[in-house]
Amino acid sequence: MNNNSYIPTFLILTLVLLVCILANLSLGSVAIPIQDVIASLVGSEVSKSSWEYIIVDYRLPKAITAIIAGSGLAVSGLLMQTLFRNPLAGPFVLGISSGASLGVALYILGGTALGLSTALLSGKWGLIIAASVGSFLVLLMVIGVATRVKDTMALLIIGLMVGSLTSAVVSVLAYFSKAEELQRFVFWSFGSLGDLSWNGVGILALCFAAGLVLSIASLKSLDSFLLGDAYAKTMGTRFSRSRLLIIIATSLLAGSITAFAGPIAFIGLAVPHLIRQVINTTRHIILLPAVIMGGAILMLICDTIAQVPFSEFTLPINAISAMVGAPVVIWLLVRKKKLLF
Amino acid sequence: MKNTTLFLVGLLSLFISCKEKSKEVKNNESQGISLSIDYANGFSIKQYTNHTIITVTEAFPGAQKVFKYALIPRDSSGNNTDIELSNTLEETLKSQGVDAILKTPLNTVVVTSTTHIPSLEMLGVAETLKGFPNLDYISSPLSRKRIANKEIIDLGQNESLNTELTIELRPEAIISFGVEGENKSLNSVERAGIPVLYNGDWVEKDPLGKAEWIKFFGALYGKEREADSIFNHIKNNYNLIKEQIAAIENKPTVLSGGMFKDIWYLPKGDSWQAKVLEDAGGNYLWSETEGAGSIALSIESVLEKGQQADFWIAPGQYTSYAKLASDNPAYAQFDAFKNKKVYTFAKYKGETGGLLYYELAPNRPDLVLRDLAKILHPEMITEAFTFFDTLDE
Repeated sequence: MNNNSYIPTFLILTLVLLVCILANLSLGSVAIPIQDVIASLVGSEVSKSSWEYIIVDYRLPKAITAIIAGSGLAVSGLLMQTLFRNPLAGPFVLGISSGASLGVALYILGGTALGLSTALLSGKWGLIIAASVGSFLVLLMVIGVATRVKDTMALLIIGLMVGSLTSAVVSVLAYFSKAEELQRFVFWSFGSLGDLSWNGVGILALCFAAGLVLSIASLKSLDSFLLGDAYAKTMGTRFSRSRLLIIIATSLLAGSITAFAGPIAFIGLAVPHLIRQVINTTRHIILLPAVIMGGAILMLICDTIAQVPFSEFTLPINAISAMVGAPVVIWLLVRKKKLLF
Repeated sequence: MKNTTLFLVGLLSLFISCKEKSKEVKNNESQGISLSIDYANGFSIKQYTNHTIITVTEAFPGAQKVFKYALIPRDSSGNNTDIELSNTLEETLKSQGVDAILKTPLNTVVVTSTTHIPSLEMLGVAETLKGFPNLDYISSPLSRKRIANKEIIDLGQNESLNTELTIELRPEAIISFGVEGENKSLNSVERAGIPVLYNGDWVEKDPLGKAEWIKFFGALYGKEREADSIFNHIKNNYNLIKEQIAAIENKPTVLSGGMFKDIWYLPKGDSWQAKVLEDAGGNYLWSETEGAGSIALSIESVLEKGQQADFWIAPGQYTSYAKLASDNPAYAQFDAFKNKKVYTFAKYKGETGGLLYYELAPNRPDLVLRDLAKILHPEMITEAFTFFDTLDE
């Protein structure tokens, strides 16, 4: 198959993505007519100033966050599945989200449980900084291990162990903390895409771009990784350097998204499988852009559902992503009778 | 050329006059009058000629940041009708780094804790409340009636305000409790230009300190005098009961709280619940514990210390002995259970299940004290219970 034969598929994906963006912007707790949505976006006269604010300064950053989070998690899921040649791997197998949740747990619960003062970090960026520091420390640990351990599979197990260790510490912290604090922590763990300032969206976009550049730089080595460590070495891939690049790319993507939007499960694991069902190839030059679009589409759909249009209620994004996505993946696998991996 | 020179001279004179005006405002700065705040540690109010500054020093436990809110009366008598001056005043206040500038009295407000609602009602400004997160928590009959008339809209569930609905409502201020920056939706509405004020009534350790936050609301509505007299009434009432009780020698021992899973949570010795118990002439068995939150203990240690306690007050959400015993046989081991000396605040509920105690108790420590005194020393108090009652069979 040459690259041109995928053009129709990509055209359809682009069209679906555009429809999803428009739907996501037009639906929310406040009912805003579609002509006013479009008027706000192109900057012409809107019938109510609060509507314009809601579209431009609340829903638009939320939609962009959804696109970045969906794409970023899907890309890091693809990178991890390829690196470990394991269909069960996802963006968080190296312990990124457990690191972030430990940082946040120390920040919110540590005051009561350990008598820590988090005054240094108070203010609007406190949570984000705490989550970033947590996942960064876990990343350093993983890199330290990766340079020592030759076997990629051992790395996978170590990542899982780090995850168990951090969640154990979080449990102990939770056990000794107040109900209100626990609630705040649980709310963070539900994930949320909305309410980011433009500055926040900007920083997130920068991290996303950096992670994406690293992923594109690793395209060739990713293809060879699929054939096994030994083969990758014979292909002349600079093995440990490429592995490190892939780990750093994943951490940048998954870490920044977790810091800004909380731990969002499922998307990163499922999107690569969904895309492989649609596009039958193992070449990452095709898979990567497809996964980017697929992740964005799925996340936008989930966010639209989580907003529960026209009601004052919203649902936690973390629950919706699995509720919507899991049946789709199961149905596809049952229908195709085999996993394309 | 001539025009340009004229224009420049004009600009310069404008600039100089502006400078003089801001000097005027600065001069008033030094002559602020502090209102008396006797029990609360978390805020202070200072009145200047043309504006008032509320300073919130403890918006949440361990807060490092001090919040300053400037209040400008809408049409104060005298010189504030001058628009230019009021703009200059706003500029000056902004340059001093106040966190919010509000025009008082407020016409529309959103509060986020039910404990804020009694203050609004006592000050007679309940009609300014336009939105609240999770209306079911509200139990006061007056506000329930306004909810029935669709005058207060529901802004979502629990801690998180629904950002879109709040921006659509555009209240003049949101009164929040909680930690700055942790509630993402609050950051959003603040960016949308709706001032968010932090109310730290829940951080206060003194029962009267909590109630004194009515003065915070008083300032927002230009009703400082009313707030003062309401608070004085509560304070005098509280101290009167406290003095009556102080003479009594016999101090019955008191156990409090209940279990969640297998951990018993009860108020620490510096908490306001413990303080009111002491003032009501009770001997709270955990009064020695330090701190203001709740303490988590194993059932063993609570049984050890509290089995012979004369009274068991506030066993969480329980309203009957049968439910207590069926939930955990250990509960039936306590003397207070056997002698039917368990008192709960969970029986007085609003129409939609919100507990009156959670809403009104922090505002009316005098009524809490009266209830507890009635439980511990029934001969002293003739009035009926407000919050507490015996458990059903």
